[in-house]
Amino acid sequence: MTDILRSWIGGALPDWLIVLIAYLLVTLIVLFYAVGNFIMMVWAERRVIARMQDRLGPNRVGPAGLLQPIADAVKMFTKEDIVPRNADRWVHLLAPIVALAPVAMMLAVVPWGRGWEPIDLNVALLYIVAVSAVSGVGLMMAGWGSNNKFALLGAMRAVAQLVSYEIPAVTALLTVVVLAGGMSLLDLPYMQAGVPIMGATILCGDPAGCSPLLYSTVTSFPGSPNEPVQALDLGLGWWVFTPVGFLGFLVFFIAALAEGERTPFDIPEADSEIVAGYMTEYSGMKFATFYIAQYILNFALSALAATAFLGGWQGPGVAALANMGGPWVHVAAALSAFYLLAKIWILFFVMIWLRGAFPRLRVDQLMDFAWKLLLPLALVNIVSASLMVGLTQWTSAQWGGLVNLDGFAPWQRQLIAVLVTAIINIAAAYWILAINQRPREAEWDEEELVIAP
Amino acid sequence: MTTEIQTETTEIQTTRGKVYVIDRGRTTLRAGQGLLTGLEVVFRHFRDALTRKLERPSQQTGVFTVQYPEERLKLPEAFRNFPILLYDDETGQELCTSCFQCQRICPPQVIHMTQARDPATGKPVPAVAEFLIEYDACMSCGLCAEVCPFDAIKMDHEFEYSTDVHGGLTLNKEALNRPISYYEKIAPTFWAEVKDSAMKKLQGNMKRRPDLIGVAPQMIEKIKAKRAEAAAQAPAPAPAAPEAAPVDKAARLAAARARAAEKAAEAVPEPATDSAPTDKAARLAAIRAANAAKKAAAEGAALAADAAPPASGMPADKAARLAAIRAANAAKKAAAEGAAPAADAAPPVVESAAPAADAAPPASSMPADKAARLAAIRAANAAKKAAAQRDGSEE
Repeated sequence: MTDILRSWIGGALPDWLIVLIAYLLVTLIVLFYAVGNFIMMVWAERRVIARMQDRLGPNRVGPAGLLQPIADAVKMFTKEDIVPRNADRWVHLLAPIVALAPVAMMLAVVPWGRGWEPIDLNVALLYIVAVSAVSGVGLMMAGWGSNNKFALLGAMRAVAQLVSYEIPAVTALLTVVVLAGGMSLLDLPYMQAGVPIMGATILCGDPAGCSPLLYSTVTSFPGSPNEPVQALDLGLGWWVFTPVGFLGFLVFFIAALAEGERTPFDIPEADSEIVAGYMTEYSGMKFATFYIAQYILNFALSALAATAFLGGWQGPGVAALANMGGPWVHVAAALSAFYLLAKIWILFFVMIWLRGAFPRLRVDQLMDFAWKLLLPLALVNIVSASLMVGLTQWTSAQWGGLVNLDGFAPWQRQLIAVLVTAIINIAAAYWILAINQRPREAEWDEEELVIAP
Repeated sequence: MTTEIQTETTEIQTTRGKVYVIDRGRTTLRAGQGLLTGLEVVFRHFRDALTRKLERPSQQTGVFTVQYPEERLKLPEAFRNFPILLYDDETGQELCTSCFQCQRICPPQVIHMTQARDPATGKPVPAVAEFLIEYDACMSCGLCAEVCPFDAIKMDHEFEYSTDVHGGLTLNKEALNRPISYYEKIAPTFWAEVKDSAMKKLQGNMKRRPDLIGVAPQMIEKIKAKRAEAAAQAPAPAPAAPEAAPVDKAARLAAARARAAEKAAEAVPEPATDSAPTDKAARLAAIRAANAAKKAAAEGAALAADAAPPASGMPADKAARLAAIRAANAAKKAAAEGAAPAADAAPPVVESAAPAADAAPPASSMPADKAARLAAIRAANAAKKAAAQRDGSEE
């Protein structure tokens, strides 16, 4: 963006101003992108959940009810802003801002398309984890500042939930860090090129005879010291197709549901128990801000899950178009942006689907689930991820002679790694599920029943 | 769209209605299978809701939303909302006889009515003059319709009554009136059950209602127009009594005569000038009686001729009344005996009516006017009745 602006108005303005304008423009684009998606998500959620409940959903305002979010926005803008008399005014006012701002900041590091990344941060994953934790402060401020018992209860629940689910989420993301050998989100999609399960390990035997439409240049596996090679690339080498990635994705997605306060983890705003949780005392645009924050958080977490495990913008055809060069690179970028958006929306659909299917958990069930099931699985998964990296990339010297796979081709090493990790993960999953199983209830022994005299 | 019954659902017809048996699949599930089954069920609902509507309960899935203003469910016949009054499509006669049963039984007491009275005698007639129902306080219990012995008040299916007009939900008779055909449309079997007795009772009540009393207000103009039309078409089927049949012609003639008499009365200042209006009225009454008699004659009043003359000697009002009664009796008799000598009898009737008319002038007693009019009306009714009976006996 800076380069484009420089070429257009380079002579008229000082360079620092151009850089500033460029960053502001990018920020604006990303925020509009997120808010546009938020509007569509509100509409889609209402329509889809309606169909799941054999209803039609909003279909009166505009074609198929598409203008319903606009009507809602107009309503929100015209609502009175009510602050409870005994509320802490400043905290009450700041809470929605503190909740929304970190969520919006998460969007800065996501690569939205091939070459469309707002900023290249080499600790992007750490940044996301750190920043998303801040929104918990906003929720606590809302609950405390409202001077309302339901709001405070909701905020307590929200913070407890956020804190406990951050651990499985971060542990699941740690597998990605292990696999990628770094924390940059930017590299993740490039590393998920190739074909399902095998990744980018099916190499081109004859460099001259390989079509650039099927093969592209990749560094064979993340962190590999090897020279770039030509590998079969259908844009489908997503980590979710490997055992490590699959388990990591499951754990992360479930934890993301809890962080985004989606059903079945919508305990902080359980409307049948505590009115609307920390949002109880909010109305008008302050309420709308919380609402936006929640949906954009879901959007960002979906984007993160897609980027980390579902290949990000990777998809069939992106690499081929990019390899054709010239203006096709821009077409490839557009296609890749579409792929990422499609993945985000599929994940969002799954969120709605879960909301349509499952009831809300209790708080103790929520905690059990996080600490007794998700966290052990995520920890086992880190072991698997480490083994995966070792089996596919380490030389015999690195293993210290324990394992010698130097003679095998990359695809053979990948296959061995997949099999080993699959066995570990499946066994661990069965074992952890088994030890978490409730003991079978004792059957009534009718003869021992004592009948009161 | 074709609707197939899903394989896991079976319909069983029992004596007490339809039973849907739904196979819910396995009841015991391993860990996690319950979650997946739940997701599968929800997805099936999602998929089917995109493609089809729920048309019968056994389908289980599909959109069940009815987009109300555009789409409506068919209301069952027994649906009841607010009461309405029925009137006969043909004659416009209301079935209500003002018996006050509905007003008495109404639990929230929202039914109010006034019985119609004969304007001539002041006596009540079996018809309702005004009928009010406060729909806003009505509780839709349907007791009024249950209790009505004449099947005149029925429960409507209409329910879109919201209004911003204060008092807009207090409906008068004109607003409550519906033709029988309307009720027959919304509740065909219910009407078929009561139709015969209701219509029979209506026929009986119509006989006791003078002229247009008891006719639905919105139908009065139509009924009048219909009568005029019927009268205009009348000459064709009765060629045997050409001078008697066209009532309107006769009436016009009578009017002309009356006008002539009036002129004469003005032209020649006689000692009886003060009695002029009475004179006029009496004569008019006589003419009406004559017309009625003519009508009766045209339809078969054979012996009316003999009955009329003796009346000539009496005071006008009495005489006219008597003439009318006798004419009625005669008409009845004639109806009983049959319609054979109708054609021959017509001229004498005219003659008989004439004396009655002549008898009027001497009458200087005051109530002649009213009484005479009454007499005329009665004569007309009698004639009508006679005609009706004759029709009945012929059938």
